[in-house]
Amino acid sequence: MLLQKSTYKQQSDLARFCRTGELEETVIVRPDRVGHYRRLVYNIVDDSLVSAFPLTNNILTEEQWDGLVDNFFSTHSCQSAQIWEMPKEFYQYFRDNESPLKEHYPYIIDLLLFEWMEIEVFMMEDEEFHEVSDEGDILTGILAINPEYRIISVSYPVHLMQAGEITAADKGDYYILIFRERDTGRVQFIDLSAVFVLIIENISKGLKLNDILPEIAHYLKLDSLEVLIENVKPFINMLKEKGFVLGFNRTESKKKQADATII
Amino acid sequence: MKTQIGIGYRKDFAEEFMQDTILKPDFVEVAPENWMRIGGYWKKVFREVADKYPVFLHGLSLSIGSPDELDMEFLGNVKKFIKEYDIKIYSEHLSFNSCDNAHLYDLLPIPFREDAINHVSARIRQVQDFLEMPLAIENVSYYTPVAAEMSEQDFINAIIAESGCNMLLDVNNVYVNAFNHNYDAKKFIKDLPLEKVAYFHMAGHTQVEPDLIIDTHGENIIDPVYELFDYTTQLVQPVPVLLERDFNIPEFEQLQSEIENLRSIANKNLNKSNVTTKEHIQATV
Repeated sequence: MLLQKSTYKQQSDLARFCRTGELEETVIVRPDRVGHYRRLVYNIVDDSLVSAFPLTNNILTEEQWDGLVDNFFSTHSCQSAQIWEMPKEFYQYFRDNESPLKEHYPYIIDLLLFEWMEIEVFMMEDEEFHEVSDEGDILTGILAINPEYRIISVSYPVHLMQAGEITAADKGDYYILIFRERDTGRVQFIDLSAVFVLIIENISKGLKLNDILPEIAHYLKLDSLEVLIENVKPFINMLKEKGFVLGFNRTESKKKQADATII
Repeated sequence: MKTQIGIGYRKDFAEEFMQDTILKPDFVEVAPENWMRIGGYWKKVFREVADKYPVFLHGLSLSIGSPDELDMEFLGNVKKFIKEYDIKIYSEHLSFNSCDNAHLYDLLPIPFREDAINHVSARIRQVQDFLEMPLAIENVSYYTPVAAEMSEQDFINAIIAESGCNMLLDVNNVYVNAFNHNYDAKKFIKDLPLEKVAYFHMAGHTQVEPDLIIDTHGENIIDPVYELFDYTTQLVQPVPVLLERDFNIPEFEQLQSEIENLRSIANKNLNKSNVTTKEHIQATV
């Protein structure tokens, strides 16, 4: 490296000061002015996080929020060159580290994930949409789904209730389908049961409901396949109305089917 | 040939920008960090803008002055973006915003030192070789020197000479630095390698203390900065000029009025400079 150690140390100390607010005595700067760098850097990070996590920010006191941001930025080395992705690191950092806030707000990690996923799905790169047909049979056709989606599982109903109203009694298994409307780019959220998660994951592999549902009925030890089918049909129609199911694939992808196995 | 005047394109006013006819820039400038590797709504919006206007790139995260290794994956994404939108100018700041493998998301001053000149120049050459295009490096505003062993002027001039890069001359930053560090702004500009200037930035700023201005891009351009721009454009061949406004965004009428002011000054000074270089011809849209 062409840079001398002493120059590197000056830069490293200044950068560390911006992250922690602690200024090494050896860094040669104007002490009356260097604080502006800490303020400017911190404000950019804080603004970005407030903007990404408005619900989480809203439930915490100012002191709790500032403590969280300060702890994150001073101890975590942000890897994202694009600042809009940095909040994901904030979520991951908080998820992976101890914090008394997790006891006060047991749903807080789910809430951060829920808020981050809205950004991720809204911003993620475009997926290819294949041509679809409106003609087809729900059971025997290959359903074409919107490829721009994620499914997350959470332990608290952060997508169904106001954050402040959620209690420990609400703990359970919740699944959320998050997808981006093709025409508007708007992000939609749909509450799912575990069975519907299985169905969507298998549809995404190119399998037909006629193949998927008997397996699920068997797996769940259901007496009647017909009852399952009658429950699934309105669900698929609802997904179609909301723009997640787009129609039917025009051509069957044999390879895709061959590769796919039911979960 | 008339001078091209552009505006920094921001999501804050994206919708009005395409619907309104008040704002009439010749080009737009964007930060690649805000627009690359994305899809959905903003990608569609950006595609419309790029179809209508030439796009220049002004980066934020390259961190050319960082002690860390260059982020080649990031640069690869920038290169892909440049090709996708046929971008002719990519500029970056003469500063660092990452260190010890951590991004800081703002511009920190590089120590004005000989070893830093060698280090930064080598990195600029590496970037130019990789992108197969010249980089325009911007003089940044700074509020304190860091372990400086030479003047800002000597530092900038040496880097431009050693790296062979172009210069993005931010006239407001010269004004801000001259005020904050008590030097003569006109002399500073006159002593720059003006034949390497490929692009101008102009902006407003905020005075926060009696002896300190912060480069906020949140106010209108003030008259002394227009005067400095007038002086500068008499010395430099016509190159594109960018109006930066990042905060406290005013009505479009105000922004257009500033664009017209810049256009008027730049066009008044057309052909006054005797500085001509190959770089100018390449950089002028």
